[in-house]
Amino acid sequence: MWRDLVDLLFQAYEQFSLLPLFIEIALAFIVIAILATIIAYGAIMYKRYKSYVHEKRVAFIGPVIEEMITEQVLLNENLGRDIPTEEIEFDQAALNDKVYKKPFVRQILIETLVQYRKNFRGEVGDLLRKLYIDMDLQKDSFNKLKSLRWEKKIKAVVELTQMDITISDVTILPLTNSTNPSLRAAARNAYVQLSKNEPFKFFDIATEPLLPWDQLELFKIITTTKDIAIPNFSRWVSYSTNKSIVSFCLKLIAHYDQQSAIPAVMELLNNKDHYFRADAIACLGKLSADAAEEKMVKIYNHQPLNCQIEILKAMGSIASGRHLEFLKSEFLYSSNFDIRMNAARAIIRHNTQNSRMLVEELMEMTYEENQLIIKHCLNPLIKY
Amino acid sequence: MGVLYHFFTGGTFWDTIGGFYQSTVFIYGTSLLMAYALLAIMSLTSIQRYMKKNSTTDINIIVESPLAPGISVVAPAYNEGVTIISNVRSLLTFNYPKFEVIIVNDGSTDDTLEKLIDEFELVHVEYAFRERLNCEPIKRIFKSTNRAYEKLVVVDKVNGKSKADASNAGINISSYEYFLCTDVDCILDKDTLIRLIKPFMDEETTKVKEVGKPCEECGYVHIEEDYRRVIASGATLRMVNSCDVDEGLMIRVRPPRRLLPRFQEMEYIRAYMLGKMGWDLINAVPNVSGGLGMFDKEIAVKAGGYDSKSFGEDMDMITRMCAFMKDNKRKYAVKYVPLTLCWTEGPTTLKVFGRQRSRWGRGLAQIMSIHRKIILNPRYGRLGLIVFPYAFLYELLAPVVEFTGVLFYIYLIVTGQINWPFAIILIVFVYTYSVMITTLALLWDQLTFKYYKTWGETIGLCLMAFLEPFIYHPLIMFFAIKGYFNFVTGRKHVWGNMQRQGFGMQPTKKKAAAATS
Amino acid sequence: MSNILVIEDDDIMLKAIRNILRKDGHEVLTAKDGKEAFERLDNDEYDVVITDLMMPYANGLEVVSRLRSNPTKRHVGVIVCSSVGNEETITEAFRLGADDYLKKPIMAGELMIRIRKLLANRSSGAKLVTKKK
Repeated sequence: MWRDLVDLLFQAYEQFSLLPLFIEIALAFIVIAILATIIAYGAIMYKRYKSYVHEKRVAFIGPVIEEMITEQVLLNENLGRDIPTEEIEFDQAALNDKVYKKPFVRQILIETLVQYRKNFRGEVGDLLRKLYIDMDLQKDSFNKLKSLRWEKKIKAVVELTQMDITISDVTILPLTNSTNPSLRAAARNAYVQLSKNEPFKFFDIATEPLLPWDQLELFKIITTTKDIAIPNFSRWVSYSTNKSIVSFCLKLIAHYDQQSAIPAVMELLNNKDHYFRADAIACLGKLSADAAEEKMVKIYNHQPLNCQIEILKAMGSIASGRHLEFLKSEFLYSSNFDIRMNAARAIIRHNTQNSRMLVEELMEMTYEENQLIIKHCLNPLIKY
Repeated sequence: MGVLYHFFTGGTFWDTIGGFYQSTVFIYGTSLLMAYALLAIMSLTSIQRYMKKNSTTDINIIVESPLAPGISVVAPAYNEGVTIISNVRSLLTFNYPKFEVIIVNDGSTDDTLEKLIDEFELVHVEYAFRERLNCEPIKRIFKSTNRAYEKLVVVDKVNGKSKADASNAGINISSYEYFLCTDVDCILDKDTLIRLIKPFMDEETTKVKEVGKPCEECGYVHIEEDYRRVIASGATLRMVNSCDVDEGLMIRVRPPRRLLPRFQEMEYIRAYMLGKMGWDLINAVPNVSGGLGMFDKEIAVKAGGYDSKSFGEDMDMITRMCAFMKDNKRKYAVKYVPLTLCWTEGPTTLKVFGRQRSRWGRGLAQIMSIHRKIILNPRYGRLGLIVFPYAFLYELLAPVVEFTGVLFYIYLIVTGQINWPFAIILIVFVYTYSVMITTLALLWDQLTFKYYKTWGETIGLCLMAFLEPFIYHPLIMFFAIKGYFNFVTGRKHVWGNMQRQGFGMQPTKKKAAAATS
Repeated sequence: MSNILVIEDDDIMLKAIRNILRKDGHEVLTAKDGKEAFERLDNDEYDVVITDLMMPYANGLEVVSRLRSNPTKRHVGVIVCSSVGNEETITEAFRLGADDYLKKPIMAGELMIRIRKLLANRSSGAKLVTKKK
């Protein structure tokens, strides 16, 4: 029988080899396509089965975990009694339940704890962290950190930072130089949040640009981490050669209202990059840097449009009242719509006796479109 | 093909033509199928890359950040009175900190505007704006007196007979640097804005270099940006037809029960998961769909916005934006996200479906002819050497080649010259191959997110792949050719409004029924 | 004690706040989106409403605005509790008449103290309520 089959196949091959080439190709592809389709169906089924099992597990274990956290943390009797968190003890029996030995349960537990930490700080937050440590979950996270897969490493780094667990510099610093940008960013964020010595060290050494999304994450970490010592960011504005770092520092300066940085930021008004200059002008505006107004008016005429608009905006928030005439002439005589709009808004934002009189005066002397601009800017319902 | 040789003993001319045609078509077909296989591999890579990268990021971080860029959501509405309130409400609940919703009432003849005014306590405001893009005159602009709706702007304009015109009006009014284009009757995911703005914010490498000497006028050295600026991003669309929707909110996703929209769902998944995602890998995305796309306003405006005369205004605008970047020697990227963020009503009747597809066909032909200078022009980089040649060869020409192929086969059958075994083998080849490609696309889709709850729904959709070549595919081919015919003959289009009405009517009825039940 | 409505679309947070407040002795009802919130507000009386800002069907600002524009519900104390840190949104919430704003992550103790204060203010006389615009 075996021989018959071999014979048959051999005959089939002989027949096959006699066919024209394109038919041979077509036949080969028919076989490939059928196989691939069958495999694809198998993969779809397998994928769905796996996610089905996972969902079942989560559906079962989720409420158990939630109840445990509720009992042990949220409704802990010792909360709100001025007992230091370290001294609050959990019910060991509940923590040692054999359910919490299974790896997937532990992973879900970690994720749930992270979720809770995003919603609670203060005493409850600290207690959540203690639960994480008492259940030895940081070991799971550190194990993941040793994984070869970068996405697992990121997961570990994120868990540890969320739980405020110190990662040694030896472990984290190499990761900040990883070739993978996502891992690099995660490690950098962890370093800023957890490093006790110099959280902002990487500002000095980073050569890669800081992408807007990275800035978002860093901004959050810097502004929400409790014990971080906020340095004077003007240092990097003056000395860093990495433009994305400088522009990020400008945002931080504005956020922390670091008035002492004004001279350093004003230096940037001479920078050649006009996008960069616009950032600096915006920062001065947010700082309400009275001292910079004179210079901005002086350089105004040599600026490209985006910088001119930023200058007008900045003058609106500085609102010294010294340059109303300048704003007035920009409003009346500029041919550019956006300039007129921003000049009008800057005048209105002064909100002084003088500026209000000026607005009335302008309303009477100017033509219809400009009147519309003023009405637009005065309307409290319109924001921009 | 030996039969052929024997038959044509008398005329060498026909012999050559027939042979030439056959080998050309064979090469064409094989290369097309190879391109599909390549796309499948590229899209898998690009989907996995996206999933890996985003499985570890907490996207909600942007919600609490003061650094989040502002986004203007532009949604034209034409006679949507029945559903307008719940749909606008759902647009106002995006998970995003800084956005505005601009509803453009495109001269509706029903009570769309009145309903909006009543529900959202709107008043007419004197609004100053610059008309940067062409559009029909704007009559009035409304804002809400209730601060809870301060994100809402309603624009009332003269009907411009096209979505492009209405979108342009919305862009003129918009105040943020990015805009999202959609339709008021689309159901959007609440994370749409985050998902679509993210590609703009994490595109690798931003380096800036200086060029030349200080400019004489301004005294500064001008700079050249040496990074890829993301100019647009898009995501997958699906059919809303059989989904459970409650007041503009997606409750449960289902593949459409009726055959025609069901085919469309399959086709959409294939086009996005296999096509767009594959092109995304090599930064050659040809188009961001009109149903859902986010754009960099500065570039879109400089490129001229939407063209109200275009039949494929979405691809037309993307093409002009890309060409603008290339003309100015700047690097750009168009990104795609492998997640379904938008559910739209697919036509359920052959008539409306045919009109839509003919329009698409006509749009493609129009774009190819308007932008013909781009095809194979090395100055336009990937746009000229990959995107356009591919679109021309395998999208524009495919229906024509197929159509003539079918005619040729019929001719062979009628004149009795056909080699049946070979013909059948070839047909089976094409058939199994197309089933494979579609099944792969559906598999890739399963890798991202489990949209369908049950096995039955998933397999039910997969099985459509077996029917497609017999039922759906011939339809698409026919309507595309009809569109080309309209393009060539330049037949007056009367469907500007009719078409939108056709779309509008169905969801209206359906959602109204759903709302009352 | 008092009737509190918690509106929040994150399930974990919703349950957590409910449990904490119940332990503190309050009567707590929950709503997981804007639609449910409006139903609950129509059907019952509350002393304090705690609301998130971004959720399906309606945002938290709408909840605040509805409460403040309804003469019978004007007196209800409103605490907005959200992760949104953007200054404009916070001012907007206060302008609409929110009594307090807590940024996530919150401190459970703080939440309880603020609720107590709000309740105390309220019981010390309707005068306070009318003073608010």
